[in-house]
Amino acid sequence: MSKIKYFVQQSWLLIVSSFCFGLLLAIANAAWSPIIEQNRINKLNVLAGRLIPKAKDFVPLEELGVEIKVKLLKGEKKKVDVYKAVTGDECFGWTFNAVGPGFQDKIELIIAVDKDFKTIAGFDVLASNESPGTGDKIKEEDFRTQFKAKPAAKLEVIKSGEARDNKILAISGATISSEAVVKIINHYVKEVKEEMQRKGLIGNDKEQ
Amino acid sequence: MTKNSDTTAGIYKETLLAGLWRENPVFRLLLGMCPTLAVTAAVKPALTMGLSVIFVLVCSNIVVSLMRNLLKPHLRILMFTLTIATFVTIADLFLKAFQPEMSETLGPYVPLIIVNCIIICRAEACASKNNLLVSIIDAVGMGVGFTLTLCVLAGVRELLSTGMIFEAKVMPDWFVPWAAMSMPVGAFITLGLLLGLVNKLTKGKS
Amino acid sequence: MPDNITVSPAPHISEPVWTHRVMIDVLIGLVPAMAAAGYYFRLYALILICTCVISSVVTEWLCNLICKKPNSLGDFSAVVTGVILALSLPPGLPIWAAVIGSVFSIAIGKMVFGGLGSNIFNPAMVGRAFLTASFGMMMTTWTVPATIDSTMPRIAPENMLHARTQATPLGWSKIAIKDRNGAKIFNDEQFEATLIGEVGGCLGETSAIALLIGGLYLLIRRTINFHIPLAVLLSAFVFGSIAYLIDPDAYMQPVFHLTSGGMLLCAFFIATDPVTAPLTRRGMWIFGAGVGTITMLIRIVGAYPEGVMFSVLLMNAVTPLIDRLCKRVPAGGKPGV
Repeated sequence: MSKIKYFVQQSWLLIVSSFCFGLLLAIANAAWSPIIEQNRINKLNVLAGRLIPKAKDFVPLEELGVEIKVKLLKGEKKKVDVYKAVTGDECFGWTFNAVGPGFQDKIELIIAVDKDFKTIAGFDVLASNESPGTGDKIKEEDFRTQFKAKPAAKLEVIKSGEARDNKILAISGATISSEAVVKIINHYVKEVKEEMQRKGLIGNDKEQ
Repeated sequence: MTKNSDTTAGIYKETLLAGLWRENPVFRLLLGMCPTLAVTAAVKPALTMGLSVIFVLVCSNIVVSLMRNLLKPHLRILMFTLTIATFVTIADLFLKAFQPEMSETLGPYVPLIIVNCIIICRAEACASKNNLLVSIIDAVGMGVGFTLTLCVLAGVRELLSTGMIFEAKVMPDWFVPWAAMSMPVGAFITLGLLLGLVNKLTKGKS
Repeated sequence: MPDNITVSPAPHISEPVWTHRVMIDVLIGLVPAMAAAGYYFRLYALILICTCVISSVVTEWLCNLICKKPNSLGDFSAVVTGVILALSLPPGLPIWAAVIGSVFSIAIGKMVFGGLGSNIFNPAMVGRAFLTASFGMMMTTWTVPATIDSTMPRIAPENMLHARTQATPLGWSKIAIKDRNGAKIFNDEQFEATLIGEVGGCLGETSAIALLIGGLYLLIRRTINFHIPLAVLLSAFVFGSIAYLIDPDAYMQPVFHLTSGGMLLCAFFIATDPVTAPLTRRGMWIFGAGVGTITMLIRIVGAYPEGVMFSVLLMNAVTPLIDRLCKRVPAGGKPGV
């Protein structure tokens, strides 16, 4: 009995303040988490809208009753957020989120392709932690526009020369970051395409 | 940790100025080097980081000062960490909700304020021994001192690495950015040179 | 007491080995390389060299003034730093970048540590590293020597896309490793070109013969010991041979590695810097071997075509450790043991 008394004597402040602080955090979280979630969706819509400007809405595939699962670069299988870019009933393409290892930290991308998965419409960086000045340039227009209208097949990184066909010119001084981006795009485009063909979303005429 | 620097508890001005210059956390105490080196590539993230630190510092100093008579010596660090972690999480959530871009730029460095030595140092050295008002003034002084230093460092680096300050172009067109200044090496060199300058300026005065 | 009176026990043999004598010798040794730079890259090369020397000297003078230290220009070390930095710059570099590099070399590379003798890293390489990190594009843009027509295929293998921007032997080597056609690119004609210096590259590194002449002069004058140059070249050769024997298609012949890029400049003039190299003979062997091996590792495995700068800086960093490792035991055993 005296042990419990001693315990309470010593730690009552800790216990009480833990409860108080916990309550404080719960309130803050409850108040702000809808805003945080909305921020995320807004960012996604703005980015996706920039990649496929013709489309007005981006419908998550879950709403169509389909779930796309692909193998990640690390090996495990995971659900990918795929969005159908539509205006009214017309489909203009697809966007999906991708993630993979970068130079310092993981890189999260949003990739857009046309409706048949034939060409890439572009990509944007959702989150990355590449070195400023070099690797950080994967976010910049100069690098990203190269991917526009590239075939949705295996892309290749080159260090110099012209970025024709399936070639992507690496950012000077940031070859590793450039290669990481291309690797993520190659992997996801291929995997998502195969999975969607299997589900019958593209490749046969259901959606067109 | 550090010697109790607040024997002049009655003189609030002294306390405030101590944080700004005489005991500036970055230049004089060399505390909180991790954010100093990591988020000073541009002024905007540095300022955001500084303001977050001020918020956490003031809140934790208030709480610690209020409960200073209730603290058990062997549990005090636990209490400090708990307090600091709470306010850091609130600051992190706030940034995520209202400054999503900044929150992304700063990445893990906002949650890492929890382990920033300045805050636990002030809790231990000042707030747990002084009354509420002195603790608040000390927190503001230290926080503003930290923020100003961060901004100076970030200003130099942003100017040289991009030709801009606060994302506004200030350098003429012929200026070629020094990419190295935005890399970690730029942080170390700028910090070193500024420390040298401060030492030179204060030589023989203290 | 005046300097010219020396009190010492017999035998009274004295030799005027002062810092400025050594530095002047190094400068004389660098003359052939400077001449080659002037020959292949014309007036602009000489302008770059002068810029680097002048800004190095001015920076050192200013640093001494600010720190209220005695003037140290008399030892000529700032001039040597300036020349070595200039010789390791690409020939098309803008003047202002050369000035920034020189200021950085002297101020951050040397004076911050307390002047000549206290610096950890080779000042010229510190300046060059800063320039590489800051202006990566400029520091890897090569111009073709003025003596040859830039459209001639000799300077660039046919499969090169941008001959103008990558026309160094080491640039080809990187492509050869990727495309596995090293044997096709590197023939006797190419080797000859790297010997006389009719290839792209930094100002002072193109002509192997000029560097060898300068290096031999230093060796004969005993300004430098043969240990470091030999260790650098030997380890690089061995490493290059191993790579070549494993896959002769991908990797170029080891001799090429010695004659192209900054290898010779490094072996004779940069790695031998008495301040930043180890003091003992054994230490020198370790240091040289480290420089050679790391250079080759970067050239063959790494992302950069050239690795001399990084290998010198890395080995500079471990020089104090090497010195501690190779302490000489006094005659009669360790004192106090």
